[in-house]
Amino acid sequence: MIVEGYRYSGTLRDKADVVVVGTGAGGGTLAAYLSDRGWDVVMVEKGGFYRAEDFTQREEHAMGLFNGRRGLDSTVDNAVMLTYAEAVGGCTVHYWGDSFRTPEDRLEKWRTEFGLDWMTPEELDPHWTAIEEELGIHITEERLFNENNRLVRQGCEALGIEGSAVPTARVDCIGCGWTQFGCAYNRKSSQLITTIPRVSRQGGRIYSDARVERILIENGRAVGVEGSLIDRETQRPRGRFRVDAEHVVLAGGAIGTAELLLRNVPEPIVGQRFYVNPHFFVFADFGREIDNVTGIPCAYSVHGFRKVRWGPNGQYLGGGYTMLCSHQSPGLTAAILPEAGAAHAERMRKYRRLGSLMSVIDEEHPGRVYLDGDVRRTSFTLRGVDVLKAVDYMKNAARIFLAAGAQEVWIPDIYGTVVRSEAEIEDRIRARSVAPNAQLCAGSHFVGTAPLGADPDNSFAGPTGESHRIRGLYVADGAAVPTSVSVDPSLTIMGVARWIAAGMHERSGRAGA
Amino acid sequence: MLDRRGFLRNTAGGAAALAAATLISPGCAAEYPQAEMDGVALQTLTPKQYAVVRAAAEALLVDVPVSPAEVAASVDRELALVGDPIEGDMKAVLGLIEHLTILGGRLRRFTALSPEARLRYLGTWRESRFKLRRAAFMALRAVVYYTAYTHDSTRPLTGFEGPWPERYRIPVYPVDFGEVV
Repeated sequence: MIVEGYRYSGTLRDKADVVVVGTGAGGGTLAAYLSDRGWDVVMVEKGGFYRAEDFTQREEHAMGLFNGRRGLDSTVDNAVMLTYAEAVGGCTVHYWGDSFRTPEDRLEKWRTEFGLDWMTPEELDPHWTAIEEELGIHITEERLFNENNRLVRQGCEALGIEGSAVPTARVDCIGCGWTQFGCAYNRKSSQLITTIPRVSRQGGRIYSDARVERILIENGRAVGVEGSLIDRETQRPRGRFRVDAEHVVLAGGAIGTAELLLRNVPEPIVGQRFYVNPHFFVFADFGREIDNVTGIPCAYSVHGFRKVRWGPNGQYLGGGYTMLCSHQSPGLTAAILPEAGAAHAERMRKYRRLGSLMSVIDEEHPGRVYLDGDVRRTSFTLRGVDVLKAVDYMKNAARIFLAAGAQEVWIPDIYGTVVRSEAEIEDRIRARSVAPNAQLCAGSHFVGTAPLGADPDNSFAGPTGESHRIRGLYVADGAAVPTSVSVDPSLTIMGVARWIAAGMHERSGRAGA
Repeated sequence: MLDRRGFLRNTAGGAAALAAATLISPGCAAEYPQAEMDGVALQTLTPKQYAVVRAAAEALLVDVPVSPAEVAASVDRELALVGDPIEGDMKAVLGLIEHLTILGGRLRRFTALSPEARLRYLGTWRESRFKLRRAAFMALRAVVYYTAYTHDSTRPLTGFEGPWPERYRIPVYPVDFGEVV
């Protein structure tokens, strides 16, 4: 049953085996696993419950409907725009469906640096396989490649750069191109249309418009949550709710989970590692209309630069990022493109001629989620080797577009940097372009704010997902992932959440595998 | 209120700017009649703040088929809905933009400058060596451009044909959510 909290005043009370805070990649996956095995599940979601018919594909509507802080959130110095969803289905309502298994080198890092011995491909394989089957994850078919994707592939092939079609979570996609505004046709396999309905039909209760404010703790054990039912129009409280449960699972995303912990269990590690995978955009003017509107935003990704190349003396040589083909809606494109006045309008007149790439910088230096008085804030500063990675990305993105026939490559910085030939790349693309507020940088792959790990001084939860200090309190979302994944973290989060759920079920002694 | 203005406080020169922002007069409808003249019932911006957004839109949106008044009214609605800390941060930015013209040797307020002079003035914020001014400029331009180009009237300029649900009838795959109450 789905309970739309905004319809209720007074106090709603419920009781369950487990209460899951958040309904996205981690929460949906974990809740469905346990519900399938007979657990009585309650899910609580701060955002609203929306169906395909609610997704109009109008960007201003989508931003207001289900993006955190109406799509206007940023780090405290405005240097990184933060994109995340608050709705039943969580981040998967707006994600692109990119579904990469965690690279082996990253699992190895988490085993060695965080003592997460279980994080092996073999251990995670059955979980990933089950998720891939359930969500219909498959390699993007050629028909969903728009011209931007094809041109990027062509550029990579000409230069010998490694890239490939992405594994994507969708069934019978029609290729309308606006997946990030919520799928209007129920073809993207978000949690909203996969795990959530199943939990609901199996007797679970999903409360939308319900903001958790307190984690209830008795004698060192989490025993439930309580909070406010939110009026959708005003975002003001109109009622209360309380859920008592044997287990409390936090899965409200790396920002939401960190905020809730900072208000309830403010251990020093919480919020101290906030990875965002900085997204810098590079545009290319092909001098003719190209289709970068239909298809799916990212049918093709460039991963030849994922690993950092270090020199013999430890100097940075290149890499440390992936690139995703991206298309931008008019409003976001206008916000990103450089210049002002007539020069900006001139760029916007070329909207239909533009190809676009987006970086996923695998940053070494994370930011922070913290409370400033009563206000949740975030900070992130690109620094050190991460600056070099961003510059290297822009140069290689320019090379790819030029090799694909672009007339001009635009770095959307305050300097209006334009590159027209390979010879101009080294001279024109410089670190000044990625200084804070030199261009619009976005972040969306949030992880690391309440990480798993063996060492209680360096992690919030143990390898099982359970808090080191509060029994019965689990973290099973991006917050639990120790560091940047180096690729879209969605499938990593789902795999980790399902593994945690399997452990909870096994330790509970209940029947059924 | 000061606690909420981290956007300013956390940038170079921010503390001084913040102090200045708090001293700025909120203005009144008589000084800033634009909202009243546009027939806009403001939801959170003051008449002065509305006038600054409108003036910025006039300067930034050259040859763009959208009304600066519509852009300013949309910004007002969004800020009212999103609330703090974004609402407070943006209001502080608007106050600084209006009154720090003195930094460039200009004796008139931002809203009193010609659109061309406003654009040149905003250019000094864009290229400033102070992070605060760059951040303020980027915040203002982003919200103005984003808001402007979500208006349907800009489609002829961009060639954007509009969302699919407006143009095609495509069946929605059914989903059984169980009971919804």
